[in-house]
Formats: sequence, structure tokens, C-alpha cells
Amino acid sequence: MRSYYLIPLIPALALTVMPFLPFVNSTGLWFGLPKMLVWGGVWCVLCTPAMLITERVMARRGEDR
Amino acid sequence: MTITLIFTFTGIVLIGVLGFVGRRTPAADLSEWAVNGRKFGALAMWFLQAGEVFTTFTFLGMAGLAFSGGVAAMYALPYIPIGYMVLFFLAKRLWSMGRERGYLTQGDFLEDRFGSRFLGTLAAVLGVLFVLPYLQLQITGLGLIVKLVTGDAVSSTLSMVVGCVLVVAFVLWAGLRGVATTSYFKDVVMLIVLVVLLVAVPAHFAGGLSGVFHKIDQLHPQLLTIHNGTNDHVWFITSMLVSAIGVGLMCLPHTWPALFSARDPKVLRRNYTWMPLYELCLMLPMVIGFAAVLVLPKNSDSNGILLSLSKTVLPGWATGLVVVAAIATAMVPAAGILIGISSLVARNVVRVRGERKQFWVNHGTVVVACGVSLLLGIFRPDLLANLLLLTYSGSVQLAPANVLGFTRRVPIGKGPVLAGLIVGELVVIWLTFVDTHLVGHVNVGLVGLAANIVVLLAGALAERRTRRMRVSEVSDDVAVTA
Repeated sequence: MRSYYLIPLIPALALTVMPFLPFVNSTGLWFGLPKMLVWGGVWCVLCTPAMLITERVMARRGEDR
Repeated sequence: MTITLIFTFTGIVLIGVLGFVGRRTPAADLSEWAVNGRKFGALAMWFLQAGEVFTTFTFLGMAGLAFSGGVAAMYALPYIPIGYMVLFFLAKRLWSMGRERGYLTQGDFLEDRFGSRFLGTLAAVLGVLFVLPYLQLQITGLGLIVKLVTGDAVSSTLSMVVGCVLVVAFVLWAGLRGVATTSYFKDVVMLIVLVVLLVAVPAHFAGGLSGVFHKIDQLHPQLLTIHNGTNDHVWFITSMLVSAIGVGLMCLPHTWPALFSARDPKVLRRNYTWMPLYELCLMLPMVIGFAAVLVLPKNSDSNGILLSLSKTVLPGWATGLVVVAAIATAMVPAAGILIGISSLVARNVVRVRGERKQFWVNHGTVVVACGVSLLLGIFRPDLLANLLLLTYSGSVQLAPANVLGFTRRVPIGKGPVLAGLIVGELVVIWLTFVDTHLVGHVNVGLVGLAANIVVLLAGALAERRTRRMRVSEVSDDVAVTA
């Protein structure tokens, strides 16, 4: 498997395991918002840089043509 | 109420007019109509693909899900970015194949990749069956929106009829270009409305966003966690996985024309890269759902809470704008779904000779599909409701076929793929309608997919063994002859 596949895998995994992380799936708030909303929102945002990095790696290796 | 009603019907007509403006001259053929001759640029593609995500379910259903299940509604947030990350890698290949081989539908793709007309037809029939209830959902949703705001059943039925007539008219005239132009309007008005509601509703009921969640944390802390019950961990993760597979592996047939309509694959990849940021908008109706917990009785109709709070907080004209946004989230996806259904029927089910005849079959299907959905929406709204349960779980059974089709040289023949698909669908139907408690809260689509893959692998092994036996028989014959 090519290494650049692993980059988007990080936010994908973080989003998938969200309900199984005890510090995320718990009562209480982060920044005045439910922890799940903050965790999900942050990793959702991080999907974009993950794909941008992947695109750059693919371009450098000439694999995006 | 009168102002709201005026806004409602003006909004419906405006969406119809915008759809017409999408095209100036009639489309020359089905490719021009269904995928705009494969020449949409970045902006149109952005709104087309975002349009697939923001439907009545997103607008009204997400608020309702947060109202009844709290953070369980978050299952709907991750699956789209995860699906897009898969498509980030797949879209270029799929787009290139579509352009080279002239695909317009999922049925075209499967038929060509597996050399099986039957597989193409079966995939198309299943696609139509699973997506038709989704079309009806949009139409019924439109009527529900008007009924919730006006409280008048006649206005509700009239809005469904007028909405359907206009959708059919602009889809027939403008095809996918009509969907694109209405999508611009839909997303802009929807975002404005959601931001206004995000500020106004929490400020009115709890002094601000943070106030809503501090009160929820004190009064209803169970809504901040995924816990035992209907929406438990198993439900959350399996529903999310099935939906992510559905999006990422292109299992829903109405998503295919939009992908093929891109000018080049870079446009698609750029969209998939940036779209997760846009998906954050899904959280806005969720916040409204949490605010509703503080003010509405527990037994309130969850689908109507966003509109109920809008009526309480906003003046009549602003509520009218909310209704227009909600109606747009019904009419625009309905138009996209119609194009998906009609092109499947014209290309893969009713196989007529000649492009002109195919075009007529396609246009006839648009009228019939929308007419059937409208009639059922008015007279038997519950009839297709059960089929709606199959939309995602049934559609994902096409995932193995799609994945194999994406490979450079399809490694498994049509036989095992067909056997797996049929077994997967049967398992899903059985678990949805007959033995509904057998797998607990596990999404039945995932169970069906497991059965599908087991049968497919067993079939592939049998196929390989048969092929090897045939080869050895032939070589034995050659040896004897020699």
C-alpha cells in the first residue's frame, strides 16, 4: 500500500472511533459545546489538509496524472 | 400566516423559474441532458455535489434527530467526509472510464465492466426501487413543511402538486443544468437561514449558543453521550459505516450523473478536498435541535421542530424565508433524483434503439416517476415508507460490484457478483421486514454486505476451480491429440 493513503486514514479513524473514546463520549462541554461536536467538527476540518497533503505527495511522485 | 404562504408559493415558483433559466436551447441528446456534455466547471460541480448532501432530511431531519437522540445525530457528520476521502482516490479513474466508454449511469458501468446486460439491468431496477422512496420523501417533505407552517392541509397538497409540476417541467427542459442553477439558490438561501437561526434561536431561549449547551449539560446530560438504547454505539458506528460505504463507493445511482458531468477530474478532486469544510453546516440544524429540547414538549413531532422554533422566534416574512429554504432542500434534490432514475430506466431497463427514442423514454420516465411519487405522497404516504428503509442498506449491496469494476482488470466474473448481490439483498429484505430483531442495533445493510461478500468469495473460488479444471481438461485433450 502506498504511504500517501495513510494520511487521510488518520482523520477517518478519528471520526470513526469517536463514540468509543471515553474522553469524547462523556458529559461536560469543551468551549461551551458538546465534546462530540467539537471532536467531530475538528477532525472534519482536518480532512481537508489531509487530502491537500496527499495531493501534494502524489504530485511530487508524479502519480496524479 | 398569509405572508408565510405568499413566500412559500413565490419560493416554489422562483425555484421552478431558476431551473428553466439553466438552459437556453433544448438538449441535443441524453448525454447533453443528463451530464451536460461532461463540461461542468468547479463552481457548478461544487453546488451539484453539495446539493446531493443537503436535502430535507438534513434541514429538518438533523434538527429532529438531535432533538430526540442528542449527539447520536453526529453519525451523519463523519460519513460524508469519509466517503469523500475514498472518492478522492477513485473519482479520477471512474470519470476517465465514463468519458472513454460513454457511461451515463451505474448500470452502464456495471454492464460494461462485467460484460453482463443482466447485471446492468438488475442494478438499474434495484437503483430505481431504492431511490424512488427517497424521491417521495422529498415531495412528502415539501407538503409537510407547508402544513407545519400554515396548518392547512389544502395548501400542503397544492404545494406538492405545484412543486412537482415545476420540478418535472424544468427537469424536462434543462436536465442537470437546471439542477445546477437551482442548487446555487438553494445553498445560498439555506446557509443564510441556518446562520440566522443559529444566532436567533439560542439567543432567544437560552441567551446564546453556550447557554443552550450549559442547560442541556445540567438538565439532560444523557443527550451529550452515546449510550445504551435505540441509538447506541453499535447503531452509531454501523449506520455511519453503511452510509460512508454508500457515498464512497458510489452505491446511490443518482450520484453518478453528477460525477460524470465534471469537465475534468481535477474539479472532482478539488471538490472532495474542500467539501468536508462545507459539511460542518450539518451541525447548524443540530444546534437548533438541542435548543428545542429546552422549550418543546418531549412528544413534539421531531421533523417539525426547526419550523416550530422559527415561527416562535422570527417575524412572518423571515419564517417565510425559512420555508423557502426548506422547500428548496426538497425540490432541488428531487430534480437530481429524477435525472438519476430516468437515465437508469432509459439506458438500462427499457432498451430501445435510437437516441431519439431513448430520449423520449427518459422524459416519459421523469413524468411517470414524479407522478407516481406525488400520488403516493398525497394518497398513501406510508406505502413507500417501508421501502425507504432499504435506500441505503439495499443500495450498499452494489458496493462489491462497484469495487471490482473500478479495478484495471476485473478479477471476478459476473456469476459470483450476481449471486452475492442477490443474497445480500435477500438478507437485507429479511432482516428489515421479517426478522427485525435478529441482529439488534446492527445496521442490516452491513449484515447483508457480509453475506454478499462471503457468497461472492465462495463463487469466485468455485469459478477459479472450474476454470482451472477446464484448462487442465483442454491441455489433456491437446496432449492426447498430440
